[in-house]
Amino acid sequence: MKIVVPVQLVPDLVEELVVDKSGKALDLDTVRWIISEPDDHAIEQAILMKEKSGGEVIILAPDFEGVDDVLFAAAAKGADRLVKITGDFESGLNAHALARALQPLVKDMNPDLVLTGVQTHNGLDGPIGALLAEYLQMPYIGYVSGVSVQGNKALISKDYPGGLKAEMEVSLPAVLGVSSAESAPRYVPISKIRMVMKTSKVEEQDAGDLDLSGAAVVTRMSPPESAERATMITGKVDDVAAKIVAIIQEQGLL
Amino acid sequence: MPIRIDFWGIPWEWAHLLIYVTVIGAGVVMLVRFYLQARLWWKAGQVKLCWDRPLLRLWRVIQYAGIQTRVLEQKYPGVMHIAIAGSFFIFFLGTAFAVLNTRIYEPIFKDVFLKGGIYLFYEVVLDLFVPVFLLGFALAGYRRWVVKPKRLTLEPKFTWMLLLLLAIVVTGTLVEAYRLALQKPEWAPWSPVGYLISLLLPSGSAAEAGLYQVYYFLYGFHPLLVVVAFILLPSTPLLHIFTTPINIFFSDPARPVGQLAAIPADKEGIPIYSRTLCNLTWSQLLNGDACTECGRCQEACPAYAAGQPLNPKQVILGVRNVLHRDGPALDCSQPDKVHELVGETGLTEEVLWSCTSCGACVAECPVLIEHIGTIVDLRRYLVSEGRLDAMAQDALNNLGRYGNSFGQSERARAKWAQAFEPKIKDARKEPVEYLWFVGDYASYNPALTDITAKTAEVFQQAGVDFGILYEGERNAGNDVRRVGEEGLFEMLVEKNSMAFAKSEFKAIVTTDPHSYNTLKNEYPADAVGGRPVLHYAELLDQLIASGKLRLTKKLGYKVTYHDPCYLGRYNNVYDAPRRVIQATGCEIVEMPRCRKHALCCGAGGGRIWMEEGEMKERPSESRIKEAVALEGVQVFVVACPKDTTMYRDAVKTTGHEDRLVVKDLIELVYEAL
Repeated sequence: MKIVVPVQLVPDLVEELVVDKSGKALDLDTVRWIISEPDDHAIEQAILMKEKSGGEVIILAPDFEGVDDVLFAAAAKGADRLVKITGDFESGLNAHALARALQPLVKDMNPDLVLTGVQTHNGLDGPIGALLAEYLQMPYIGYVSGVSVQGNKALISKDYPGGLKAEMEVSLPAVLGVSSAESAPRYVPISKIRMVMKTSKVEEQDAGDLDLSGAAVVTRMSPPESAERATMITGKVDDVAAKIVAIIQEQGLL
Repeated sequence: MPIRIDFWGIPWEWAHLLIYVTVIGAGVVMLVRFYLQARLWWKAGQVKLCWDRPLLRLWRVIQYAGIQTRVLEQKYPGVMHIAIAGSFFIFFLGTAFAVLNTRIYEPIFKDVFLKGGIYLFYEVVLDLFVPVFLLGFALAGYRRWVVKPKRLTLEPKFTWMLLLLLAIVVTGTLVEAYRLALQKPEWAPWSPVGYLISLLLPSGSAAEAGLYQVYYFLYGFHPLLVVVAFILLPSTPLLHIFTTPINIFFSDPARPVGQLAAIPADKEGIPIYSRTLCNLTWSQLLNGDACTECGRCQEACPAYAAGQPLNPKQVILGVRNVLHRDGPALDCSQPDKVHELVGETGLTEEVLWSCTSCGACVAECPVLIEHIGTIVDLRRYLVSEGRLDAMAQDALNNLGRYGNSFGQSERARAKWAQAFEPKIKDARKEPVEYLWFVGDYASYNPALTDITAKTAEVFQQAGVDFGILYEGERNAGNDVRRVGEEGLFEMLVEKNSMAFAKSEFKAIVTTDPHSYNTLKNEYPADAVGGRPVLHYAELLDQLIASGKLRLTKKLGYKVTYHDPCYLGRYNNVYDAPRRVIQATGCEIVEMPRCRKHALCCGAGGGRIWMEEGEMKERPSESRIKEAVALEGVQVFVVACPKDTTMYRDAVKTTGHEDRLVVKDLIELVYEAL
């Protein structure tokens, strides 16, 4: 069982986001990169599957600042190969471009399963998993919260909005967009990461020229503009409740 | 002339020989049995014998095992124990002198020393310790069979042990009484207890034969009991007579209580985590056999009192029980076959995560057992396996990435200082006298930044030349270390040390007792560079004493003061904050649990980052109730940022908002300016 997990780094929302001079993109100098949360779940799911039935887990990540930390953390969890994709990402990267760049690399790896996070919070042109599946000519299922492999098929549990869950079967190889792993991403102690840094190596593969076409075009980017200020309803609990009911009725919601 | 006659009235040489042979034989059996048990410590545990400072170690044995200072801290059990232990020590000495007298002194010097005045003194002392023993026994019996405090292990083995001791003393005294009744020496009243009993025995030549019969019987029975006691000793609670002095001798006299031992490593430098018995140190295993099951740790433990799964006594006994169960057949060369310690009775994950590392157990233990060392070692193992709760994981992830548990950017660390005028110096850019290590809570918690700003204002008013590290500061790592994340602790130490290296300062000051503890006791010497680390209570105390900080108002509040664990118990700073409070013109009323016995707020050891779990009553709420019970106390003074949040919550949840205000020490000082 060979599982390939392409992951992405996204701006860490802990830091203040600054729009650059063009007014169309973030000022990359102020951005601090962090692994996209669903991608962290994709890694966890891959490791869980490896622990259960063996196999090889390969992590791929585009070269943003901090990518080594992401890769080493994955290795400390149990990933076998770490691949850093190099290229000119500063001038802009989108899901289409990254999926196109990933396609030949992933294809060469000949995976049984490609796990990737179902979304990124800065993605404007859809999930990378679906695009990659298209380019690789593989089936795709998104919003996956559980995988078990039987022979050349995988049994998937998929989440739908409103708390619905479905179980479906997919033939392998396939691409899955993971929303949450079967258990929360594990904690890796720092000492383990530091040890892994000494022993594992990060391969580099070039992304080549990026083809950015097919994605949404940003015309203006700005921080959320504050709308009208909220009204604070004060007074006794009963009065406040009565006012809230009145407002809801006014809006025709009751 | 009064003289001690060996084996008085026992004419048969073979009987003398028999007694010597059996008692010595039993002593040998005892030592062999003890050895077989002690052997397990180094068979399983990592052996590292520490002999440095032997005289200090010996003094500690005398202090804690001989004079028993810790035991005597508690009146009732203290008197009880010293009465029993002291009298048996005297009886043992008496017997040893008797043997010395006739078997060694006499053959050499053709004379005895137990004669005349010395002999009378010998008799009277030995005799007077009989009622001393009986007092101890009565206290012990009343406590064990009537009061039955929860902290005791109410098992038959303790009852049998007590009864055996009683039987030895009673038969010994009766032997003496019968001897006096038969021997009728004129110095008999010098053995007052034996003499008084002898007066009750029938007298006259008709009764003599009967007395002799009983005397012979007792003369055999008394040593027989001693033989039984010797043989059984290693499997009874009396084992502690051997194990506690050893435990005290090998406890580290140099390491401050606020300094955890590092993770042991093998020859290649790979850390050894405490997965099994084989990974513990021999002294951790010795701790288990040294435990007297007195339960003082249990009684002092805030987690136990809150109804959480932790009982520090059961942690230590848990290790002991696994050692006794698995030790004899243990094969550490096959680690896969050795049971994991976590999960054993008393050592479950829930137990280990309940500990606030407040140090009350360690401070109470009369025989210097280090509960927290073992708990943290087991936590380190759990962390190495990624086995910790989701909230703790989040906190550690945040600490690893941003250097604070709040998950905020390090750039926001000094946000509170942005609007501050005059601007607070950046210690990395200009030399300062005091480097103020602000700490996470005082920096990031919006409810506390007001107090942080007041601290800065007071420092400025007193003309203190200080600066902060701005975004260069990281969590000091005290609680990270106690959670068991040693690698992250080391990383935080490295980052802070780098920031220190960039700065020029003469001393460090912090309002956070947790940071204070680790900076003072755990940071490498080259990072702090021998410069003093001060808690702000200490600095304020100095400033007031030197007249640099003038307090003009007398506040006149009636207050109580809560000793933070890491300031009080861990670092013995009790008086400085109290002097500062007094300088503000407040009257301090002490809570029953104060100073060394102060109750923990429940936030330490990383508990503040974890799921709270099931609780009967939060330690912080119990503490507030304790304060509210003090007549007229209006203010609950704290000297730790975490305490402010913990106790302000607890005042609300216990509904005492109209009765008690929680104030930081600096708020009093600020008000009194």
